[in-house]
Amino acid sequence: MPWLEILLAGMVAMLTGLDRTALLQVMISRPIVAAPLTGLILGDLQSGLAIGLMTELLWLTRIPVGAAIPPDDTQIAVGATTLVIVFGPLWGYAGPGLLILALLIAMPLGKAGQWLDHLARSQNGRLQKRAEQILATGDYAQVERLHWQGVGHFAFASLITYLVIVTAGAVALYFLAPVFLSMLQDHSGWLRLVFPLSGIAVILSSMNISRTLTLFGASFTTAILMLWLA
Amino acid sequence: MKMMKRRKLPGFIFFQTFLRSFVLQGSWNFERLQGLGALYVMMPALNHYFQGSDRLAACKRHLGYFNTHPFMATSVLGTAIHQEGELAAGSAANDNFQDYRQMVMAPYTAMGDAMFWGGLRPLAAGIALFFALGTSAWAPVVFLLVFNLPHFWYRWNGLSQGCRKGFDSIELVQKKHLPDLAVRLKEGTVILLGGLSAYLMYAELGQKNLSPLWAFACLPAIYLLGWLARKGVSTLLLVWVVVAVATMTIEIIF
Repeated sequence: MPWLEILLAGMVAMLTGLDRTALLQVMISRPIVAAPLTGLILGDLQSGLAIGLMTELLWLTRIPVGAAIPPDDTQIAVGATTLVIVFGPLWGYAGPGLLILALLIAMPLGKAGQWLDHLARSQNGRLQKRAEQILATGDYAQVERLHWQGVGHFAFASLITYLVIVTAGAVALYFLAPVFLSMLQDHSGWLRLVFPLSGIAVILSSMNISRTLTLFGASFTTAILMLWLA
Repeated sequence: MKMMKRRKLPGFIFFQTFLRSFVLQGSWNFERLQGLGALYVMMPALNHYFQGSDRLAACKRHLGYFNTHPFMATSVLGTAIHQEGELAAGSAANDNFQDYRQMVMAPYTAMGDAMFWGGLRPLAAGIALFFALGTSAWAPVVFLLVFNLPHFWYRWNGLSQGCRKGFDSIELVQKKHLPDLAVRLKEGTVILLGGLSAYLMYAELGQKNLSPLWAFACLPAIYLLGWLARKGVSTLLLVWVVVAVATMTIEIIF
């Protein structure tokens, strides 16, 4: 078992996972960054880029509002990339169909991220209460440490989500690949389009601006005609 | 009350506060949201202005409920630091600040969400995906640059103007017309996504030696998926169903 690769990808999962809410928010958590970064670390940048491209738009406009937390697309991207690069060769599979299958497997497992993120935020509620008590004693350094403990909760949630996706995903890949891979391989060109186009559809549905569909249709038509005539 | 000259915030404390603003949401929780984070960000400035029981009172003032967009928060927290400076100098302006904070948090959240999450992020992603289609390793770099240049600019200026101008820092939002800018960005994103969809279809049809005009068949499909998403169908279900339907359709046609 390639433990080192799994561990390295786990570090990426934790770092990029923190960027979702707790730390930085410079968007290294977006699949278009997190998946290629995982690919680069695991020695296959192109697979990471392809996963990033397919995943990026799917939940792009979903943001945490109150208790509603979107699926963890960061760990879906990192986990799917790990499945393709580490477990694909291990189980003897390769090719563009593997990218699609890995992503289809990782997507529902990303639900674990929602639950664990919720858990981390609930745990942080206790830190807030403790901080209020400790502040009364004037121990400012401890109050600051409690804040960083919250960061730790988010890091832990990200790591566990990644491990759930990779562990359950590896088992699912082992059993599902013999059944579905050849079919997905045959039509991989078309099927790879399903992900970004579905993502685009979801984004359009969430854009609260007038003329969205007209603008999109006009842009689509103009681009097709220009590409055709060029 | 004795009035003193307001002490200027030293550059290194300002910079420390700026760096800490990147950890504002570290202890995000359902009860006080960014409350503990807001105090963490302000702690160096409060330490500078207050000592002893005044410091404790100042910290308690900022450990309550706090919730706004993380990038816009620097503006609110900068204003808070300015007001604490005034308070330390003997001006009793704290009540005004609590009202100001309550007043701006929700609108700043709405503006930040629309501007950064709803406008800039999809636009940056759309641009980066064009690079990713050409399998360019620059795609993530382009995404990070397009998103983070305005992000860093706003985060820095929000804090800077808040610390210097106090309540008047709201001008930064007014002058830049952020709500209008968010709408323009969204329109740009929709146009870009139209081009991206067209390019994706055109490239695939070209590989299969099919007429580019077949691309128009995907337009109603995208509208249908968008309608389903608006009706509450989850993205996961959409993708699974479309992959299954597409696979069966292709098997039948080809």
